[in-house]
Amino acid sequence: MPDLHLERIDEAVAVRADFQGGVVTPVAFRRPSREHRVVRVNARWLDRVGRHPTFYFSVIDEHGDVYQLRLEAADMVWRLDSVALEG
Amino acid sequence: MPPAPAILHVDIDAFFAAIEQIRNPRLEGRPVIVGAGCIASCSYEARRFGLHAGMALSEARRLCPDAVILEGHAQIYRCFAETIFECCRRIAPAVETYLDEAYCDLTGTARLHGDLLAAARGLKRDIFERTGLTVTCGLGPNRMLAKLVGKTCKPNGLAAIAAEDADAFLRDRPIEQLAGVGHAHARTLRSMNIRSIGDLRPLTVEVLVALFGAPGRLLQERCRGRDTAVVHQREIPLSISRETSFHRNTADPLEIEGMLEYLVGRACRTARELDIQPRTVAVRLRYADGESAAQERSLAAPSHADPVVLERILDLMRRLFTRRVALHNVGVTLSGFVAGAAEQVTLFDAEQAERRHALLRAFDGVRGAFGHGALVSGRALHLKGRLEEDRYGFLLRTPSLTK
Repeated sequence: MPDLHLERIDEAVAVRADFQGGVVTPVAFRRPSREHRVVRVNARWLDRVGRHPTFYFSVIDEHGDVYQLRLEAADMVWRLDSVALEG
Repeated sequence: MPPAPAILHVDIDAFFAAIEQIRNPRLEGRPVIVGAGCIASCSYEARRFGLHAGMALSEARRLCPDAVILEGHAQIYRCFAETIFECCRRIAPAVETYLDEAYCDLTGTARLHGDLLAAARGLKRDIFERTGLTVTCGLGPNRMLAKLVGKTCKPNGLAAIAAEDADAFLRDRPIEQLAGVGHAHARTLRSMNIRSIGDLRPLTVEVLVALFGAPGRLLQERCRGRDTAVVHQREIPLSISRETSFHRNTADPLEIEGMLEYLVGRACRTARELDIQPRTVAVRLRYADGESAAQERSLAAPSHADPVVLERILDLMRRLFTRRVALHNVGVTLSGFVAGAAEQVTLFDAEQAERRHALLRAFDGVRGAFGHGALVSGRALHLKGRLEEDRYGFLLRTPSLTK
């Protein structure tokens, strides 16, 4: 039975993002060790729970790893929410 | 002359599983199951192995050993559903929404949209661009026909049926597909050699009422393709349930009562958001050895106040939990709703009820701003440190994902 799950990280990260056309799209994010270039945004969704909305992005970096980023509209802080792990 | 009724039924294909597949492209093309205990949703790849919603996970593992099983993320699914329903509201003046489907009333919008099928195609495109999800749409003169015709073109399909074609469309369809015919009704009808919707038509309304009670009248109309149910803007649920399995079976009264207080808090908050008050409350529990027990009671007066509901729930629980066996699962259900925000009180506790109402309003305000987990009250404090939490509160383990 294949094991595939999201491992929670929840750490603040610096993100380069494109705000063209009023739509925010992460382009790259930096963890302490290195920068990850976003090659594809798989999905994006908006969570309206709470006073301020939170934008979520599922992205793939240049190594093919799947991460979930979130942008909290209250303070415009980006956080690396989780990473998809297999095995 | 009034415009011809036109209802568009929008059904999200393999909803939970499809979201997991677009969130993680490694799951694309693989059989994916979402659920805990039983299948809440499975991808079309999994359905090829005979898997379907409601099937026990043990059976699913046997039929499809390579399936990826995920517990699911109910809050994420709600976010996607809300985006899809927003798209629906752009084209329809009235939209009735459920977990993974919506009815859009397009009656009288022909001058606005022109061809309604083109409007439906545009909606499918809009939904796909905004979410990456596919939906199946059925367009018909009433809700029942719209839903049924949509079933003929799943997944990612679009089909329409005109009122004059309803008779031929329905005649040979299996009786189980008729709205209002569940497993029990279907068994009864099949025992009478009534196998298709057309076979039901010779039965008089008196016979159907004798067999099924008041719903017999509806069946008599529906088997002829007539369904007068209107599209309501807001869904008033028949019941609100919240349930969870314990991470470890427990007989600890503090943990059990703490969990019940938490579940009641969540259920009552939902009722207050919908502006409805339950008349009836119920407790369900399942022991570690698989045996279960359930009981329901009416409240003295309808109320969505946590303390009022909790008092009755704890009373029921103490009567029910009589065996010396640990519990595996507990659940609470509110039902018999009446509309209206004000709590009905007697003359002498009006002041207390007003204070309680103000306190709960403040609770809801804080939880609305900072998440349900921001406030934990009373016995539910015993769950702190025992259960995982996120910003939505304690992480519950539920087979349905929506409870």
